[in-house]
Amino acid sequence: MRATRWVLGSAALVAVPWIAAAVVPGQQRYVLHVLIFTALYGALALSYDLVVGHVGSLSLAHPAFFGLGAYTLALLATEARWPFALALPAGIALAAVVALAVGVPMFRLTEHSFAMGTLGFAIVTQVVATNWVDFTHGPLCVTGIPKPQVGALRIATLPAFYWMGLGALALVALLYRGLTTFRLGRAFHAVRDNETLAAAASIDPLRYRMLAFVIGGGVAGGIGALYVSYVGVLCPGELTVSLSVNLLVMVFLGGVGSLRGVLVGAAAFTALPEILRMAPTWRMVIYGLLLLVIVIRAPDGLEGLMRRASSRRRRPASSGA
Amino acid sequence: MSDLLEQLVHGLTLGSLYAMVATGLALMFGVVRLINFAHGEFYMLGGYAFWYAYVELGLPYPVAGLAAVAAMAAFGLAYERAVIRTILARTWHVQLIATLATSITLTNLAIIVFGTQPKEVPTRLSAAILEVGGVRMVWQRVLVLVAAVAIFAALEWFVAHARLGKAMRAMSQNREACAVVGVDVQQVALATFGISAGLAAAAAALVSPLFSIFPDVGALLTLKAFAAVILGGFGYVRGAIAAAFLIGIAESLAAGYLSYAYKDAIAFVVMVAVLLVRPQGLFGRRIGI
Repeated sequence: MRATRWVLGSAALVAVPWIAAAVVPGQQRYVLHVLIFTALYGALALSYDLVVGHVGSLSLAHPAFFGLGAYTLALLATEARWPFALALPAGIALAAVVALAVGVPMFRLTEHSFAMGTLGFAIVTQVVATNWVDFTHGPLCVTGIPKPQVGALRIATLPAFYWMGLGALALVALLYRGLTTFRLGRAFHAVRDNETLAAAASIDPLRYRMLAFVIGGGVAGGIGALYVSYVGVLCPGELTVSLSVNLLVMVFLGGVGSLRGVLVGAAAFTALPEILRMAPTWRMVIYGLLLLVIVIRAPDGLEGLMRRASSRRRRPASSGA
Repeated sequence: MSDLLEQLVHGLTLGSLYAMVATGLALMFGVVRLINFAHGEFYMLGGYAFWYAYVELGLPYPVAGLAAVAAMAAFGLAYERAVIRTILARTWHVQLIATLATSITLTNLAIIVFGTQPKEVPTRLSAAILEVGGVRMVWQRVLVLVAAVAIFAALEWFVAHARLGKAMRAMSQNREACAVVGVDVQQVALATFGISAGLAAAAAALVSPLFSIFPDVGALLTLKAFAAVILGGFGYVRGAIAAAFLIGIAESLAAGYLSYAYKDAIAFVVMVAVLLVRPQGLFGRRIGI
């Protein structure tokens, strides 16, 4: 029963380009574009939640890792003419290595200081991306980033990018699942919930935090690389602090530390501006207020609501609780 | 040589600005153990309040400055009642995200209300030049330095002798004990936010004639002030003030002799470098105002 639902669900997701073409013929491109962003944002939010939701380190450095992967692919593909199959792993590797190098001093800081330190790193990265004009082109942006090509397979059409995004999301979701369940996941949660107790049980908090931080950074780099190869242009503005805010909204709106919650959060977040159709500035005001209300009033996010709803369905007798 | 002295004067001005903002952060942290990520936005709003009073209403400079301080102190009180009080009992994650969310909301509201074009607020003092032994500086910088020293002296007296100041000091040492002996901890927390926001507005009224006011001025400022708070030893106000001046001077020397574009990275680099050697900050590990 569960397996059939899975297969049907996956088949429906893969078939979306044809479904969209049949249901909304004039809008197919637009729908696919929104869905590509949803998939990439979903994968990025999962990589972020690995750090925030599972080891409890409130990092604000994620835009920097996203940007590192994005710039690596953009510059290697345009200036050095590297093929996509080499530039993508290079982006992931560089983001992960930088995460490791930044993590060493940062994890000496705790709580607020860690958040502030990582925010500082993100700001410095953006300052460098804006000012090192000879290398990053600064505000002139990197343009003409070629479409990905692996062997004979060329990803150039919207459906192809959609499948690429979906594949990336599936891979990241699998990785997320694998890392956060089993023994490793329990170690992550032990570190998050009680650092002292974890250390006493010979679970080294630093090692597990670092592991989540580096993997999260690497994945963010990979998503950054995919993102620029879809968009084709990369400007320093992509690395701003507001990306961290977007990720926080997605993760907290959906439900911290939950695969389903984060994916729902990312989908709701990407759909929201399409529904609201507002100027970007008003959008940020609304996100800010939304985030404020969520963390204060509903810290479990939508996942908390869904869980309550499903438990009510399962046990209709004990509705008093 | 005179070039170096000029850079030092610039550094001291910057240091005064960072110190006034960092003092507010350190006071809040000392009294309620909360880091206010929206503190730079208090400075930003203070700057706009000052601009409105001075340029739009045409009030004289001291009156406009005091009006901005009063307006922001009231804003600080409202912020404590509306946001801080609801999150004080929550985890630091919630507190951090809530104040960060406030910061984003305020910045973007400012963009909508005032536009992204920076506001310039020249005063008579920011055009008049003082020359001492070959070192040229505008009088406004002298005013900033004198006012900063006066404000810090007043604050020092306030915390040491005034009833409220003593209560703040006591709360930074032991909140429960304060409540037990009858200190109204909520009122003290409220007053702390008023004072901290007022300090940020005072900084804005003093330095706005030198630097312009724009909506996202706050983000970097919070970061630098926070760097000063970490370097000074968490919650230790005098340490934060000293570290703020250190950062201001390092930044202006770096802007003068290394690279202007990368000056904003300096505070951060200094912070990381110090923390690698002394994770407890420059001035020991003492919590308390």
